Amino acid sequence: MLRLTEDLAKQWLRDSGLPTPQAFAAASPQEARSAAERMPGGAVVKALVPTGRRGKAGAVLLAEGVDQAGAAAAKLLGTVVNGHVVRKVYIEARVAIKDEYYVSFVLRDDRAEVLVSRSGGVDIEEVARVSPEKLVRSRIDPLNGLDTWTATDLWLDAGLRGASLPRIAALTTQLYEAFCRADALLLEINPLAIDESGEAHVVGAMMAIDPNALFRHPEWRGDNEPLPENPRARAVALANREYPGGECQYVELEGDIGLLVGGGGAGLYQHDLMLEVGGRPANHCVTPPTGADNRKLKAVLSAIFDNPKLRGLLLGFNFAQMARTDIRARTLIELLDEKKIDTARLPIVIRLFGAGESESRAMVAGRPNIHYVPRGTTLKQAVRLIVQLTAKNSGARL
Amino acid sequence: MSILVDRNTTVVVQGITGGQARFDTEWCIKYGTRIVAGVTPGRGGELVHGVPVYDTVRRAAAEHDINTSVVYVPAHAVKSAVMEAIDAGIRLILVTAEYVPQHDVIHITAAARQAGVRLVGCNTNGIISPGKSKLAGVGGVDPDEIYAAGDIGVLSRSGGMTAEISLALKDSGYGISTSIAMGGDAVTGMKMAEYVKLFQQDPETRAIVIFGEPGTDNEQEVAALLRSRAITKPVVALIAGAFQERYPAGMSFGHAAAMITTGNESASAKRAALAAAGAHIAGALEDIPALLRRDLR
Repeated sequence: MLRLTEDLAKQWLRDSGLPTPQAFAAASPQEARSAAERMPGGAVVKALVPTGRRGKAGAVLLAEGVDQAGAAAAKLLGTVVNGHVVRKVYIEARVAIKDEYYVSFVLRDDRAEVLVSRSGGVDIEEVARVSPEKLVRSRIDPLNGLDTWTATDLWLDAGLRGASLPRIAALTTQLYEAFCRADALLLEINPLAIDESGEAHVVGAMMAIDPNALFRHPEWRGDNEPLPENPRARAVALANREYPGGECQYVELEGDIGLLVGGGGAGLYQHDLMLEVGGRPANHCVTPPTGADNRKLKAVLSAIFDNPKLRGLLLGFNFAQMARTDIRARTLIELLDEKKIDTARLPIVIRLFGAGESESRAMVAGRPNIHYVPRGTTLKQAVRLIVQLTAKNSGARL
Repeated sequence: MSILVDRNTTVVVQGITGGQARFDTEWCIKYGTRIVAGVTPGRGGELVHGVPVYDTVRRAAAEHDINTSVVYVPAHAVKSAVMEAIDAGIRLILVTAEYVPQHDVIHITAAARQAGVRLVGCNTNGIISPGKSKLAGVGGVDPDEIYAAGDIGVLSRSGGMTAEISLALKDSGYGISTSIAMGGDAVTGMKMAEYVKLFQQDPETRAIVIFGEPGTDNEQEVAALLRSRAITKPVVALIAGAFQERYPAGMSFGHAAAMITTGNESASAKRAALAAAGAHIAGALEDIPALLRRDLR
């Protein structure tokens, strides 16, 4: 899920015709001051980081006038909020709120679900816990969408009456359409506010996007996610950003047996088996389908080799019906040579059957301690073998 | 018999001029699959491995008797291609692409249901009814090496594991009525329960082997069918991914539907629900034949 910062989410809603308060992003106290000059009714200064619960983290400050806005920006810029460095703040005109409502949309199973409540402006999890009857939820048929009359019914169920009802219902329909067009997995408006004159404002907005749909929204293709602390996981995350092809993953664990596995069921299955026979995985990973470009595969295997706890390695894949095995074997050989790894000190079990297998076997032939198991060896037997070899090797140093 | 795919299956390949589609089409034809037409807009009139290419599915369907489509278009074009196939009256649609946007998946799933069309995937590597027909890449260039004909239905969230299950069955003398890779995404067109019901109705299928993973309510739905006796054929299930429960919540493993949101969706919970409903739980692939033998003579 790709969380957007508030400025991007609000801009999308504004462009979708929804009423959002006047606001500007600012990268310095000076910019914050000049933004606040245009807000005679006071401003809210918020850290622009893609996370929720900024208020609780002390990253939302009220400002009367330009001096306070500048001071608030100075206070927030450069700090770390929920793991994100604050590089910009959002200066937003304050709204004189009379009533606060809550509305959210989330994709759940094979439907979008809408959740509305008259108890906006507060922590919605708390409302759900204390007075769940104040929340009304409904699943939306993707073929029919959310009609204004259906939205009106929902708000009636939530207890809304009178002049605000048609306005709030119409905005709910509009928000659903904006949610769908954004390929959002989550859109939460809290609060959806009515001011003293009866005007509606989208005041709090949080939006998370389907990464698979970024081709429709290239402007959001950013580096919003903080990079992992672990240098090996970081290298894989960078490879994901840099190279084409499916998403790869590297999760480092406490054990000593490296797992180079695919993204599907066979990887999960082998990890289960390894624990069952008493082995301790050094990592889990997802490698992309083999293609002409092996750079992501290489990044994952490189991370596995760079883990100082590594004492054994399993290249375990299901019988390859379509993918070529030799791309994986070649990547292994390249890295062994580049990193000058002495396999006499690092047992490697390879279970790669299918297209290109004879080339793969020829590539590793003659290297010590590489056990390319024969055809017919089950995934479980290969797992057992690497666990045994690693146990023998556990005293050795690389 | 078999389910979904047999000698009467007649196929249009959408996106037939692409690399993977050409490759699979060649090997499907060699296997005996009746691929009668292909579609790539702007390429009408060409031939791919002797198969005539049309510009739209409707044009192809006007010239040929077609009941099935295999969709090879890239993720961003899947929604349009599936809606086109539904509109042209195709009854069974397989989508091979991975990483299809979720709003698109939800839309085509609902549209297929409404039209009474069976949608397999996204991210399926195919269906094979050994000795009869195969769709998409399953089996690669030598399906007989892995898939023997017989009376076991195989249903898997993972394409690769259909091969491993089928090999384990073949090695112990069992064969397959139909093997299906249903796709591992959070939302799939057809759900596990729907396939299992088809296997139940198929007179040639005597038992069902399922491979499941953490995430979604697919396996719980199968357990409910077993409990209600809607499914009476033996079910052997291998559910992978229990290791995830040994690590802190929030760690992400694998790309499938593996975002576990409730306790019911963990591998252990699925194993427990299926076992309580009467299914046999296999700890490893090599256990599957022995578990089948308990119920089959």
